[in-house]
Amino acid sequence: MRVTIKLFATFRDGRFKVEEMELPEGTSVLDVIQPLNITPEEIAICLRNGKDANEHTVLNDGDTLAIFPPVGGG
Amino acid sequence: MKFEGRYARNKKTLSDEDQLKLANSCVAIVGCGGLGGYIAEQLARIGVGRLVLFDGDRFEVSNLNRQIMATELNIGQWKVEAAQERLRSVNSEVQVEAVRGWFEEDKAPQMLREVDLVCDALDTRDTRVMLERVCHQMDLPLVYASIAGWFGQLGVSLPGDYSVSRLFGHGERGVESAWGNPAFTPAVLASLSVAEAVKLLVGRMPSLRHAWLQVDLLSMEFERFEIQ
Repeated sequence: MRVTIKLFATFRDGRFKVEEMELPEGTSVLDVIQPLNITPEEIAICLRNGKDANEHTVLNDGDTLAIFPPVGGG
Repeated sequence: MKFEGRYARNKKTLSDEDQLKLANSCVAIVGCGGLGGYIAEQLARIGVGRLVLFDGDRFEVSNLNRQIMATELNIGQWKVEAAQERLRSVNSEVQVEAVRGWFEEDKAPQMLREVDLVCDALDTRDTRVMLERVCHQMDLPLVYASIAGWFGQLGVSLPGDYSVSRLFGHGERGVESAWGNPAFTPAVLASLSVAEAVKLLVGRMPSLRHAWLQVDLLSMEFERFEIQ
C-alpha cells in the first residue's frame, strides 16, 4: 500500500518534508516513525487524514500521515 | 498632549466604530517575552484602551535577540514594568497594568476581571492548557501562539473549544529548548495573534477557530489544519 508521510517543523531537519512510501499492509504509525528515528514521546500532534491518531494507529492504503513536534516557546 | 490623527492609518481597515470598540476594550497578555512584548506593542499602537500584562521575570541579556521591550539599559528590570514604560511613550492614551508575577489559576477570576480577550504568550505547555481552562470558565476568548526556531503555531479558542489542550496536551518539552527563538519568529506569530485578536474585539469572525496555523519560516509555508 502507498502512504504519504508529512513531517513538520524540526522533524524536517535531516529528514524530508513529504514522502510517499510503499509499506506492507498492517503498518502502524510506530513502524513508520522508528526508521525515521522519531519516538512517540517526541510527537505533539499526529494526524491521519486530518484526524487524531497515535503510534498504535494502523495505516491504510492512500492515507496521509502528518507528524508535528511540540512547539511551546513564547 | 493630544495626538490628532494617531489612528489615521488604521483606516479603512478599521472603521470609526471599530476604533471606538478597541478603545473600550481590555486585553490580558499572559507572558511578556518574545511574543507578549510584540503583542503588547501592536495592541497599544492600534488603540486598544487597556492592557493587562503578566510576567514574573526580569530582563536578561539573552532576551535582547528578540524581545522588543528589552534594551541594554533595562537588563534586570521587571519585564512588565519595562513594557509599561515603553508603551506609555508609544501611546499614552492606553492604560497599561503591569502584574509582576506568574499567572495563577486560583487568582484568575480576580486578575481577569473586566478583561474582554486573553492572548496566550506563555512558554510552558502546562500553563497554556491551564490558561485555556480558566478562559473557558470565565467565558473569555483566547488567542494562542507558540514558537520554536523557524516555526510557530497559532489559533483561537472560544469557550468550549479546548483547542489548546488538543495541541499542547502531548509531547515532551518543546523543541524551542534546542532550537531557541530568533527575532523574526515571535514578531511574525505576535502579528498574526494581534490580527485575530482585533477581529474578535471589533466583532468579526476569527479565521482560526477550530483550526491552527502551522507557520514555517524556513520554507515560508503557512498551512492551516482543522481541529476535528
